[in-house]
Amino acid sequence: MKLAELIGADNSLLSILQRLNIRLGFGEATVEDICTRYNISTGLFLEICNIYSFRHYQPHIEALTESDVANITTYLRTSHKFYSEVCFPAIHNSIHCLVKELDDVNRRLIDKFYDDYDNEVTNHFKYEEEVVFPYIEAMLAGGSSGDEAYHISKFEDNHSNISEKLNDLKNIIIKYLPEEHSSALRFNLLNDIYAVESDLRKHSLIENKLLIPLVEIMEKKNGKEK
Amino acid sequence: MEKKNKYKILLIEPSEIVSAGMQAIIARHPEFTIVQTLTTPGYYNAQNSDIDIIIINPAVVDYNERFNIRSYFGKENVTIVALTQESYEESVLRQYNGCIGIYDSAQRIAQKLKSAVEEATQTPKSDINELSTRERDILTAVAKGKTNKEIADEFNISIYTVISHRRNISQKLGINSIPGLTVYAIMNKLVDITDFN
Repeated sequence: MKLAELIGADNSLLSILQRLNIRLGFGEATVEDICTRYNISTGLFLEICNIYSFRHYQPHIEALTESDVANITTYLRTSHKFYSEVCFPAIHNSIHCLVKELDDVNRRLIDKFYDDYDNEVTNHFKYEEEVVFPYIEAMLAGGSSGDEAYHISKFEDNHSNISEKLNDLKNIIIKYLPEEHSSALRFNLLNDIYAVESDLRKHSLIENKLLIPLVEIMEKKNGKEK
Repeated sequence: MEKKNKYKILLIEPSEIVSAGMQAIIARHPEFTIVQTLTTPGYYNAQNSDIDIIIINPAVVDYNERFNIRSYFGKENVTIVALTQESYEESVLRQYNGCIGIYDSAQRIAQKLKSAVEEATQTPKSDINELSTRERDILTAVAKGKTNKEIADEFNISIYTVISHRRNISQKLGINSIPGLTVYAIMNKLVDITDFN
């Protein structure tokens, strides 16, 4: 299939191209051509596409190998960047405008709730970027990793659910926050929250169902026990 | 769910040994019958089901859906019971109407299924009701940072009842996290913001 046709069939896949650093202007190239050109396995590319296109898709690693791990971490890093440079600042901005029209108590409440959430997300990403990904990359580079005591299952333990509070925030805005002025602002904000929530869900599917199982296989090979 | 003579059960359990064991135990209780067994919920089809009870190992529930068990199965009036082999966060188990442990006796399992069905029948539909007075009191205590144990002692009820109230509160409000519940409580003047300074 031509890559252009694939995008035509589901435009939400555009964000995947962006995060895999695939440049536009690819003419009549097929999915396979592009994967070869960018050194990404077709299996991985299609798994990620399926995750984005089908809500209940359950990803699996049958078609993948260790050589896909580096591409997955690159993808996840770019994805973090997208969240923290585009999505969350937009939400933060809207929240900032929203609280201006609230009374003092509600303003403090929403501000505090969102700031705490923001910190939680920042820490979550930071942990992955400073602990988890370097651990995996070290293992890819030299067989064994620097940190002998670390194990990928710790990642799952630390993997706090960052979409729970987002969901709460949504319901607070939809159901409970007294509305006085700008509706448009709230509707836009809600759409932004829904969008990032759905993207985060896919993001953690890639982490939980692709990255972690692959790394577990690598750990086994390196003789690491749980 | 109305009272029935025979409750139809869907069992979702990846381990063949555990699954066979559950089937054998449930076969001893005529009021329950297992009509379908699956190894993962991925094969579950909400359309074709007149299932009354879903018994599921929480380990096979998609991690991201673990707080949305009910919408995950797309059915409102079904009793969902966890079958656990390991421990889970309490907030995860709160989504279920009951919880069967791997070491429970056959008799205990039947009891737990019955009380789960009762509990599910009593659970008000989320779109009808406001919070009850008791629920408001418990929400207030939660917002003040009290633990389930402290709340159970204060209201002289079991921890299990506290958990069940909390599940109903979260279901009605659509708010799960403690900070989220606190925001709701302050907004609705159940607690005062100055309590937090």
